[in-house]
Amino acid sequence: MTDFQWDALIKYLPYFFDGLVMTVELTVIAVILGTVLGLFAGMGRLTKIAPLRWLSNIYVGFFRGTPLFVQILLIHFAVMPGIFGKSSAFVSGIVALSLNAGAYIAEIFRAGIQSIDRGQMEAARSLGLTQGQAMRTVILPQAVRRMLPPLGNEAIMLLKDSSLLAAISLQEMTFYAKLMQGKTYLAWEPYLTLALMYLVLTMLLAQVVKFLERKYGTL
Amino acid sequence: MITVRNLHKSFGQNEVLKGVDCEIKEREVVCVIGPSGSGKSTFLRCLNRLEDITSGEVIVLEKNITDPRIDINAVRREVGMVFQRFNLFPHKTVLENITLAPQMVRKESKAKARETALELLGKVGLRDKANAYPNQLSGGQQQRVAIARALAMNPKIMLFDEPTSALDPEMVGEVLDVMKKLAQEGMTMVVVTHEMGFAREVGDRVLFMDQGYIMEEGKPADLFGNPQNERTRNFLSKVL
Repeated sequence: MTDFQWDALIKYLPYFFDGLVMTVELTVIAVILGTVLGLFAGMGRLTKIAPLRWLSNIYVGFFRGTPLFVQILLIHFAVMPGIFGKSSAFVSGIVALSLNAGAYIAEIFRAGIQSIDRGQMEAARSLGLTQGQAMRTVILPQAVRRMLPPLGNEAIMLLKDSSLLAAISLQEMTFYAKLMQGKTYLAWEPYLTLALMYLVLTMLLAQVVKFLERKYGTL
Repeated sequence: MITVRNLHKSFGQNEVLKGVDCEIKEREVVCVIGPSGSGKSTFLRCLNRLEDITSGEVIVLEKNITDPRIDINAVRREVGMVFQRFNLFPHKTVLENITLAPQMVRKESKAKARETALELLGKVGLRDKANAYPNQLSGGQQQRVAIARALAMNPKIMLFDEPTSALDPEMVGEVLDVMKKLAQEGMTMVVVTHEMGFAREVGDRVLFMDQGYIMEEGKPADLFGNPQNERTRNFLSKVL
């Protein structure tokens, strides 16, 4: 540790910065897509329409029951080439992360919706609102407030899990740290830097979540 | 306005309504009394199909709501309901609670819905609470808002499911007063209640339910003054 190679680190810092932009980009896109997927899959698990419910259950079951790392490999090396004939690390990464996040967020939505007293739905329906209208204007706005803490956790998990995408050579932070190790044979410099970068990002994200909770969380 | 024929309702193996027949006319105030578990709330909830009907016929405003093909939302628009636990929307202000359905279901303009809402809030004595949130109100106030919310749809029938049972005793009167006023204005009302005083004073007719049947019905003076059925006598002796 005493001979920490600052000059080598400084030389690679621009790469780390590129990687950071990619990591943030991946996280933001996957959180958004995952939330949309999670909303549909979560409602799918609650619907009376049996085929939709089965489909949602299979989706959630598969992506929660297998490792993200395996999902990434499967999607990048098998599914994407199988469908499109080729595979881009960025697209595979987004697809894998979003599908995985969607499965967890589906459970967050399901629990959030089920936590709302059924009298709320009954009151809305008794006023003549359709199931969809009642869901949109009465149930979901209340459910989402309760979902903010677990959604925040999921976003933090996603940010950290995006490091696995280095395995398919997607050029995010971890990829560049590995690159630096390969080129310089240094380990402390790239990986300690990498760990601190994740730590700073997750702490920032936690602050954002805290702010949102304070702003919208109280009822 | 409402005709019920041989209504049965089961929850799994448990048959809660075992053949209820009943006719409710325009401008009539019908109070439903009976012990806990007698099926009176379930009966009421079948009248706007909040409970799926197991068998029998329920005809509301000339529509057979047991028919799965009818547009139940169109019927519910005309049938207001007030719940034991108020069920106000906690994320919306009092005003928004009341204007939601008229705007969304009746497609009223915001201004018109607002005007009606304020008028109704005046009627229930809560005009100054328009911008409050439900959790800032007492139980009695919440229930009066819930009544105003139901009335905003301009319903032809109002259903009350034990509207004062979750209230502190000192707040029961303010809610009953609003209901009494409504009855005097000629609203058709079905009221499940434990308030025997209200049933006697305001009801045109009282139904006594027990064990999934309507055991006895009649004018309040007759049913309370001279009950015919053994069970009615037994029940009344405990509550009066």
